[in-house]
Amino acid sequence: MKIPPTALKRLRQIAGAEHVFTDELSLSLYAYDCSLSRTRPDAVVHITREEMVSPVLKTLYQYKIPFVPRASATNHAGSCTALNGGVILNLTALKHIRQINTQEGWAWVQPGVITGDLQDRLAPLGYFYAPDPASERVCTLGGNLAQNASGARCMKYGGTIDHVLAAEVVLADGTPVSVSRRQGGPDWIGLLAGSEGTLGVITRLKVRILPTAKHIKTFLVTFPSLADSVQTVSDLVARGIIPRCVEAMDQVTTRAVEEFAHAGYPLDAQALLILELDGKPAQIEKEEKELEEICLKNKAQHFIPARSEAERQKLWFGRRAAYAAMARLAPNVMVGDGTVPRSELPRALQKVRQILDDNHIVASLLFHAGDGNFHPQIVFDERNKPETLHVTRALKEILQACVDCGGTVSGEHGVGVEKRAVMAYQYDKPTLDLFRHIKQALDPRQLANPLKLLPVNYAEKARPAASPDARTAALADSVLRRNEVQAPCIPIGQNTRLQTTAQNTLCTQTLDRVIEIDKTNYTATAEAGVPLSQLVKALQQEQVFCALPAGKGSLGGAFCSGCMPDFYSHVLGLEALLPDGSCVRYGGKLMKNAAGYHLTRLFAGSQGTLGIVTRLTFKIFAQPVAPVPVLPFVQAPANALWRAIKKELDPNDLFPALKGEDND
Amino acid sequence: MTDFPVPQLDPHASKKHLSSLPTPFGQRSVYDSVSFCNRCGSCQQACPTYLLSAQEPLSPRGRNQAVRLLMEGKINLAQNRPLLEKLAASCLLCGRCTQACAGKIPTAQHMLELRRALGGSLLPAGLQFLLSCRARRPQLFAFLVQTARLLRRIGAVRLMRMSGLLSLPSLSWIRHADDILPRALHEKARKQLLCHTRAAVQKPTLIYLPSLEAQWLMPDLGASVLTQAAQKHTVSVWHDPSGLFEYVYADLRQSRRLLRRLIRRHQHTTGGRLPVLTDSIDVYLFLRSAPQLFERWPALQKQARRFASCVSFVTDILKPRPQKAEQTNVRLDYSALFAREGEVFERVQKILKTQFKKNFVECWYKDADTPAFGYSFVRHNLAAPVCLQAVRSIARTQTGTVFTLSGLSALELNFYLKRFYPHARADHLVRLNG
Repeated sequence: MKIPPTALKRLRQIAGAEHVFTDELSLSLYAYDCSLSRTRPDAVVHITREEMVSPVLKTLYQYKIPFVPRASATNHAGSCTALNGGVILNLTALKHIRQINTQEGWAWVQPGVITGDLQDRLAPLGYFYAPDPASERVCTLGGNLAQNASGARCMKYGGTIDHVLAAEVVLADGTPVSVSRRQGGPDWIGLLAGSEGTLGVITRLKVRILPTAKHIKTFLVTFPSLADSVQTVSDLVARGIIPRCVEAMDQVTTRAVEEFAHAGYPLDAQALLILELDGKPAQIEKEEKELEEICLKNKAQHFIPARSEAERQKLWFGRRAAYAAMARLAPNVMVGDGTVPRSELPRALQKVRQILDDNHIVASLLFHAGDGNFHPQIVFDERNKPETLHVTRALKEILQACVDCGGTVSGEHGVGVEKRAVMAYQYDKPTLDLFRHIKQALDPRQLANPLKLLPVNYAEKARPAASPDARTAALADSVLRRNEVQAPCIPIGQNTRLQTTAQNTLCTQTLDRVIEIDKTNYTATAEAGVPLSQLVKALQQEQVFCALPAGKGSLGGAFCSGCMPDFYSHVLGLEALLPDGSCVRYGGKLMKNAAGYHLTRLFAGSQGTLGIVTRLTFKIFAQPVAPVPVLPFVQAPANALWRAIKKELDPNDLFPALKGEDND
Repeated sequence: MTDFPVPQLDPHASKKHLSSLPTPFGQRSVYDSVSFCNRCGSCQQACPTYLLSAQEPLSPRGRNQAVRLLMEGKINLAQNRPLLEKLAASCLLCGRCTQACAGKIPTAQHMLELRRALGGSLLPAGLQFLLSCRARRPQLFAFLVQTARLLRRIGAVRLMRMSGLLSLPSLSWIRHADDILPRALHEKARKQLLCHTRAAVQKPTLIYLPSLEAQWLMPDLGASVLTQAAQKHTVSVWHDPSGLFEYVYADLRQSRRLLRRLIRRHQHTTGGRLPVLTDSIDVYLFLRSAPQLFERWPALQKQARRFASCVSFVTDILKPRPQKAEQTNVRLDYSALFAREGEVFERVQKILKTQFKKNFVECWYKDADTPAFGYSFVRHNLAAPVCLQAVRSIARTQTGTVFTLSGLSALELNFYLKRFYPHARADHLVRLNG
């Protein structure tokens, strides 16, 4: 599209003429990121102050010009390319750390701050920022939130989504919105995480910082099979030991790395794990003994602890050199990213290696054994079109295999444009429709990073929707009937918090089963109407524990009422009924999922205004854990985001209308 | 590597360019070399110009992609000349991007190729004239430098600065004259240099090839090298230009001619066996890579290879002495053309660590050094922010002495230290022992 001269003039007035570029070469140099996608924008605006974002977006909204926020552009999915032309907003100049508060454990930063720079600033203060994407030396915190990036420490500390406390966002129409965890209502930061700039532009964020672990111990362990290595991780979790990092590679990768980096890795093993424990010395010592015992039980061939910092760095050296080992072989390295439930990892890796071999593709295979996330690093030459096509097809096969194993097409790299099509492998039509509605609600003119995330014409390609069980189907029928006659109703569980006396309630008490307690992946799936006391009892009978208190109320109520916000990060998947009676499914037994908007966070704390949650999958533990704090119930005030999504999903106001004043 | 026609930057003037570039993974054509950039962005935060500008065209990834687009015919050189010139000229050739890159892409070499394709010279006219005099008419060059010294002494440079003449682009480089021209040659240094230069040395065991700065701007540096080299060797001093200035700032063909002359002299006078010592890391790295200039001429390339194997750096003759316990902090300026890593740097670090122990400050990767190879004198406006960042970093680490591996870097750094952080000074590594 061509940008009208008046719009360009206005942009130059706002940003300064020297910060708006329209020449051919500048545009060509903002046409790419680390993926294969390459599309030239029509203009580039260099944002130098946070305050510039809102007027710039208002101008773009006025002239209906699409835009793509871009920082370091290091992502592998094509999230930063301007598919529909328009304007690239270069945010890299917003790189100031505004405030660090070690007393309260947070830092306010601009979106262009390099993750590694924040770590460097925090280190002398004895603090660190937990998410550690492999590209932390070059990627930005804004980009991390937009992609929901995570790294080796994810198993213990979680991803970016769990470490952002507040954010300032400018929506596609130029409206600035502040969102925070304390606000009540849905977890808007959770929704923004992984939204890839399709909902707005992040202009500032408040991240959680943690005290640095003074004692860290690293181990290199090798196994005769992948299954043994994964079983070791499961056994560790079963004993209540959560390592700081669990990095792994298969034999082919170990050999490639060793040939390049000479890190001293044993070459006879089928799988190699690098495990890291942190904590107090006594605790590490105890855990080390248990770790060794578990490793030996699982047929470990070598158990090599790092005895000094130099030895520790040496153990990590090879793992860090894995990318470089491949980068020297061919011009391009395509880094795949799939996640499966941990128990499925050996089967998935076997399938992946088979696909790579069948297609005669040279690739290394790295994986985060703790969370089921794996990264095939495929080398090829993009100048060779048939080869590129071949590799792209093989990667799609890999992602299909990943979905077949109950996994997701993206654990941490996002969807962008490169995985748009494969989203249809993973999600059914109602869920993809819901993603579309969320985008439509917050960006009705489709200006913010358009044509990303969702597959084109997915109606026929989408995964067939699994039919809900009889009780859920009955509830869905009831919702549908009420929607047809426009009879509003109030979804309730045990009615312990809302305590409504109204007659028009829709009760989930019929959904009272604990569906599955999975002691391999350490997840439990239960229906929303299960009373908490019954749920906790059922778990205890299986000698596992969850972070929920055994008080009154139902599981769905605990999740949707907004009284237990700390529980949101424990929820891995859900099933929900929308006001139109459709049933959406998101997540599952996956520790990571960066494909699509985080629906668990949208329904969390939504107080029944967006739909009825019917089923939840959440983390359980081998050892007792402290229950999450319970806040008093209040009807959360609505903000612009909530109102817009409510209007889009529930135009007939079937579920209770939003209450309270605007708190923007 | 490829089974399709390899595009060239300048198909009609191939001798203006190198036919292939050296990488740690073997020789690659320019097109292959730029194509190995995977756009991962690992280099971005290592590049001083990107850190200052936060703009993609001024980043290593942007520079590589620009060359690739140009070679693939996706952008037109004539239409995009201003920005292409800017991104080629602004590259400091420091090689930090190559250090950070997993594929070790030689972006600095790509920028030199781009400069050659764009033609013209990056040097201000006056400096261009001076350097061509040095290569072609050494006596005129000597006369001009002496005159400049005289002018400086009578205050002409100061007068020019006051009159605003130095703001003219072609004369801006003279603003450094006050700092870089020695006030008077140290008597001992002068005698030593003269003695070695004029007297015909019988059966030399070492050839000393002083850099431009050691010859004209820092005679003390030349004298130090000679003193230390003479302890073990019979030294013959050669004043031949190496061709490095021409390689970086002007025509590759001229650089090739000068280098060929030097190689032939080495071949004829010493049978191509005597070690050649240089005091500048830039000259050292350039001479070590001499064979790549003669890829089209196998016989010459063979000679160049032999010559390159004879080249050594001052660290080979340096004998560190134990220092007193209480000292200010010391650090190393890693500025070097195309590279910041390798055997030489490891050896220098080891020397400084042994000698200064805890007082040696190891710099983290983003700490700015001065731009390589006298860039400040060529593009003052672009280099100044980088140098100031280096000064800030020096002040932050409370460094007292910064050792450099080339005289030009010491001169550049001292120019800024003198104004903004006079507690520190920069000196060439060879002056380690005073």
